[in-house]
Amino acid sequence: MTKKQLPLDELSGAIGRILGLLLTEEKVDHAVQNLSQAIKESVPGTIGAGVSILDSQARRTSTGFTDSIVEQADHLQYELGQGPCLTAWASEESVIISDVRTDPRWPEWSAAVSTLPIRSVVSAPLMANGHSIGAIKIYASEPSVFDAAAVSLMDLYASPAATLLAHIQSTETPKRISEGLQLALHSRDLVNRACGILMERHKITHERALQQLILQARNKSQSLQEVSAELVAGIPADRN
Amino acid sequence: MGFDNNEPEQRRRLQAALSGAGITTGTLWLQYFSIGGSVGEYEVEAYLQGMLSLPELERDLLAMAANELSNSGPGPHAPYSDEFPLDAPRETDSTEDGPASP
Repeated sequence: MTKKQLPLDELSGAIGRILGLLLTEEKVDHAVQNLSQAIKESVPGTIGAGVSILDSQARRTSTGFTDSIVEQADHLQYELGQGPCLTAWASEESVIISDVRTDPRWPEWSAAVSTLPIRSVVSAPLMANGHSIGAIKIYASEPSVFDAAAVSLMDLYASPAATLLAHIQSTETPKRISEGLQLALHSRDLVNRACGILMERHKITHERALQQLILQARNKSQSLQEVSAELVAGIPADRN
Repeated sequence: MGFDNNEPEQRRRLQAALSGAGITTGTLWLQYFSIGGSVGEYEVEAYLQGMLSLPELERDLLAMAANELSNSGPGPHAPYSDEFPLDAPRETDSTEDGPASP
């Protein structure tokens, strides 16, 4: 989870895990790698497969591929800012190319990969919670290798894969953890400040103060946080 | 050292409230932490398993956390310690009454 043993890191880790946001990078890379291999083996004629996870600026955050050809073809897409996977990701629709050499849609990328044994491509977007988080792709060395059935197969793969991979978007995760952490700490802080007020007001222990807050919350059918917020804001609480 | 008289019953009913509302231990702990609870998640887990005794205040905070999370839904409510008669030792209930002897 974390290498540093600072209490705050431990807390972020605990909260991230509870909110379901944490998978280690190692697990992710492994999963992405295995997924690529499974895709390659299950679509006939495929010479290489890959998975890319992108952030909202189309930067790759994780990748997996089965062969160096896939790595090169992918790399060129992100370098040139164009290519079937970026289109699949951006348009949120699957892309099929019957022949890279005659398809006019990505001229620069097509020219750049002309030295690689890549003629047919299918790429499907990874959709999680209505957002596109990346794409999976397969390549073949001959034209017209893939048909509509291959596209359907890729779509089938993409759906559960996206759901799983959505949990590891490393760029988003810290933000979501710190939101959860902030909420928890804010609430806890509020309750403790309210306790402090009661302790001073009634000369009681922290424990008794917290007990009184619980009682007030129950009597008023409010949450402990609401009762504390009122007390801190100076709204006269029932004195007792 | 054993449990307070009403602790097993309070714990059992907390568990019933949690499963009734589908609340996980992690979620319960986060809410409990948010309202000032002071024991760790593992201790809460151990308490729920009946392996650890917690002070009354922490038990009530757990009940409060569970009730806040279930938002007075249809499931059973998690009781507070003052909802039990003061000295009516109930040794009647459930499989385990005592802690795994310390």
